[in-house]
Amino acid sequence: MTNHLLDEQRQHTSTSADLRLEQVVKDFRLRRGESVRALDSVDLEIGKGEFVALLGPSGCGKSTILRLAAGLEQPTSGTVSVAGAPPGEMARRHGLGVAFQDHALLPWATVESNVAIPFKVARRPVDTERVADLLELVGLTEFAKARPRQLSGGMRQRASIARALVLEPKMLLLDEPFGALDAVTRRKLNIELQSIWARDHVSTLLVTHAVEEAVFLADRVVVMSARPGRIETVRTIDFERPRRPELLRSPEFHAIVDELTASLDLHDADADARSEGSS
Amino acid sequence: MTTETRRTGLAYGTLGVAVLGVTWEAVGRTEVLGSTFPPASDVIAYLVDPAYRSLFGRAVAATFWSAGRGFVAGSLVAMFLAALAALLPVLKDGMDRFVASIHAVPLIALGPLFIVLMSRSGTPTAIAALAAFFPVYVATAAGFDDTTASHRDMFAVMGSGRWVRLRHLQLPAALPAFADGLRLAAPASVLGAILGEWFGAPRGIGILIVSSMQNFQIDQLWASAMLAALISLFAFAVFGAFERLVVARTR
Repeated sequence: MTNHLLDEQRQHTSTSADLRLEQVVKDFRLRRGESVRALDSVDLEIGKGEFVALLGPSGCGKSTILRLAAGLEQPTSGTVSVAGAPPGEMARRHGLGVAFQDHALLPWATVESNVAIPFKVARRPVDTERVADLLELVGLTEFAKARPRQLSGGMRQRASIARALVLEPKMLLLDEPFGALDAVTRRKLNIELQSIWARDHVSTLLVTHAVEEAVFLADRVVVMSARPGRIETVRTIDFERPRRPELLRSPEFHAIVDELTASLDLHDADADARSEGSS
Repeated sequence: MTTETRRTGLAYGTLGVAVLGVTWEAVGRTEVLGSTFPPASDVIAYLVDPAYRSLFGRAVAATFWSAGRGFVAGSLVAMFLAALAALLPVLKDGMDRFVASIHAVPLIALGPLFIVLMSRSGTPTAIAALAAFFPVYVATAAGFDDTTASHRDMFAVMGSGRWVRLRHLQLPAALPAFADGLRLAAPASVLGAILGEWFGAPRGIGILIVSSMQNFQIDQLWASAMLAALISLFAFAVFGAFERLVVARTR
């Protein structure tokens, strides 16, 4: 298993890695003296133009990895870099795009102004053509002047993804962007995200607990286990792109989904055994 | 607020005013509380009497002018300091304590001090400004903090500086709280202006109250007090409507 994992990593180790985590450990301090280890010696690389999905049970630290990559948390030890720079530095250069499960749209601004906000934050003139282009891409042209509360949950997530992409980021970070949506809308948005992504091939880290979503969208799926969070398996998904909705019904697709689901269950059971043994 | 609850509120309000008016009238007519408690109808008659119109008109104009200037000045300073504290977190704790200690000094104790420090005509404005300052600072500072964690994270990842975050996130988020502060500050600044006038301003409702008291002009005293209350209520109502407008626009 370990050898296999190293091979997978090596295969994708290249000079043009857009996200690199090396021996990252993250402890969260609880009360005085006590701390909990959220991540333990995590190595992860995302190559240029690669889409990687982090898959794992809740509490496995997958969101912590995303927050480290976004510069919102600092590793306890180890290093994190985005296109060669520390994540905080990359954020200040406006090189990161992010979408959370909570859309985090500004309630007082129209969809259009929400998508334009990164330009204002970067103190650049708003490129209205780019904004219109992205609204078109996510199918919200008619709703440009609407407020977020007038939109459905799926539309809000589309707006949030358009906002993440508007400055052509070096790295796109998606933290369960469709996690709060119903299964039908979620599948629809996965298909849309796949075609949006196929256009620019921006390097992407997707955090999810949905196996189908990970397999459909990603070039590689990284399976994590909990307590402490660590990488267990890396699975390359080499379906041709652009991927069509028919793929979701193919036996090959389901074979991989079953395989990853099994490994997820296995590691989850391991983690339970570990935490019971330690308590 | 739904139309129905607003209608019920209006009905209760009208009922309350009616009960108060009838009680006042009865107490005044029967003179159970003595001859210095005139019935409501006498006070209203005095207030609308054309003979006193210019007297009350001048007083109201003076008080309104002082209260208005103080309200604007106090609110602007409060906003500025709250924004400064939001931009420089180092200042936040000290600023909060500074504002709380200013608020702890009774306004009435500052009156004579202002008379000594500045002109008599400036005192009502100064006290009105101080009275408006505190609610606006507290509300605005709380409003600037009233952003969600995901919004703050989003701005951090977008590489936002403090100023941009204040301008595009905290300021719009604080507008409802700010409007709420203005609603509370408006009657406070009217009260502050009247208080300032007591210490010897050239004209205003405060002066009218003091002089009618000293000259035993009971009806005029009550009419002035009623006028003061009406101005406060008017200011409160205007900014209450403004607040509802702002809340509707931001949510």
